[in-house]
Amino acid sequence: MAIEKERIQAVLDRVRPFLQADGGDIELLAVEGRSASVRLTGVCAGCPAAHMTLHDGIEAAIRTEIPEFDTLQVA
Amino acid sequence: MMMPSQIPVTMESLVVGKSQRMRAVFEFLRVIGNSESTVLITGESGTGKEVTATLIHQNSRRRHHPFVAVSCALFTETLIESELFGHERGAFTGAIKDRPGRFEMAEGGTIFLDDIDDVPLAMQVKLLRVLQNRTVERVGGTRTIPINVRVIAGTKRDLKQMVSDGRFREDLYYRLNVLPVALPPLRERPEDIPVLMDHFLRRFFRRKNEDVPPVSDAVMQAFTRYNWPGNVRELENACERIAQTCGCGAVRIGCVAASILFGAAQQPPRTVSIHMSDIMSDIKKPEPPLQFPTAQELETPVAPPAPAPTFAPPSAGVMPAPISLDDRVREFEASLIRWALRVTHGNKSRAAALLQIKRSTLGDRIVRCGLTEPDEQQHDPAERAAV
Repeated sequence: MAIEKERIQAVLDRVRPFLQADGGDIELLAVEGRSASVRLTGVCAGCPAAHMTLHDGIEAAIRTEIPEFDTLQVA
Repeated sequence: MMMPSQIPVTMESLVVGKSQRMRAVFEFLRVIGNSESTVLITGESGTGKEVTATLIHQNSRRRHHPFVAVSCALFTETLIESELFGHERGAFTGAIKDRPGRFEMAEGGTIFLDDIDDVPLAMQVKLLRVLQNRTVERVGGTRTIPINVRVIAGTKRDLKQMVSDGRFREDLYYRLNVLPVALPPLRERPEDIPVLMDHFLRRFFRRKNEDVPPVSDAVMQAFTRYNWPGNVRELENACERIAQTCGCGAVRIGCVAASILFGAAQQPPRTVSIHMSDIMSDIKKPEPPLQFPTAQELETPVAPPAPAPTFAPPSAGVMPAPISLDDRVREFEASLIRWALRVTHGNKSRAAALLQIKRSTLGDRIVRCGLTEPDEQQHDPAERAAV
């Protein structure tokens, strides 16, 4: 069963204020089945380290809340 | 096994803590510096027990003699005796030559027995004898070797409780607990976080031969709100990570581990604003008079409310401008309500639960504080993306 967009959005919303405070954001592009893709925007979008840390961390955080979650793609 | 520590420490280089509690600790360390008595350092993992032990050694008359640190958790019951007291050739299979123990290696200096709570009960008796008689006997040996060693013990557990539970010998506990030093966890002294952050960032950027780039307020917010279960060690690692990964000339939120961000998001906002630039200049100065945060500062969930704010005595003859306590309290209340509504996405029942007040009370307070609906958290994500 596909995961509802809102559930993923809710996890992203938790860290969003920090990203926004630094002139960035994280955008949920699509949820397909049990996977989702997001895009970093703003200042940190071009930083490979930011991609790495946010990718791993956000994926882990989503999995904690939604155990059936599969993979997160960062565009 | 840890060998004599290489950490260069002086009181000044290590006073990376301006909270009252750390100052009290440092003050106590100064007092006991020249004492010869046994010290018991208690503190959670990562609070700096070994650093503190090193500091005590470096500030004692024994500083030119060895400092030997041993973690008692590292050895099995049979090995620990030989590690601490040494063994004679042929004492057991594999004992091919005489070997001095850690106590002998620390002769004239200080031995730091970390994780003392991990010493098995049978071994505790032997340790007690050593502390009482100031002599050791190597395993398999008959010679009694006098030792001149100051003992510092470290533990992350509550030894007194362990004594009650019968897991730690009472007599050894009292023998060790002559000069107790309790290191507070980082979450109980959040005002030290920016100071420590500055300290570690400097250290790690210096290793890269770079200056510390500016740190964004959002990063400060995240660091001061996070509760650091791994204490100073975790903070140190987070700073190392920043130094290793940050290449854009500014420390921004993308440099911070997401686990810290998620952890920080669960904590209520802090109310006292701390900026990196204020910190270093602040350290050596006397405590500034208490500054009341403005409504705007309260609004921004920046840095911690010092749990026990330090009230400097007013300088003679100068009366500060009056403030309205009621107004301040209301501003503070409003900022907490806004925070609760924000993290619950405007769900008033959950916000009320978070604030431990009734749902109806929250409604009244919202009206009283002139608050309308919370931030537009629930909007379409597409609108937010274009930052």
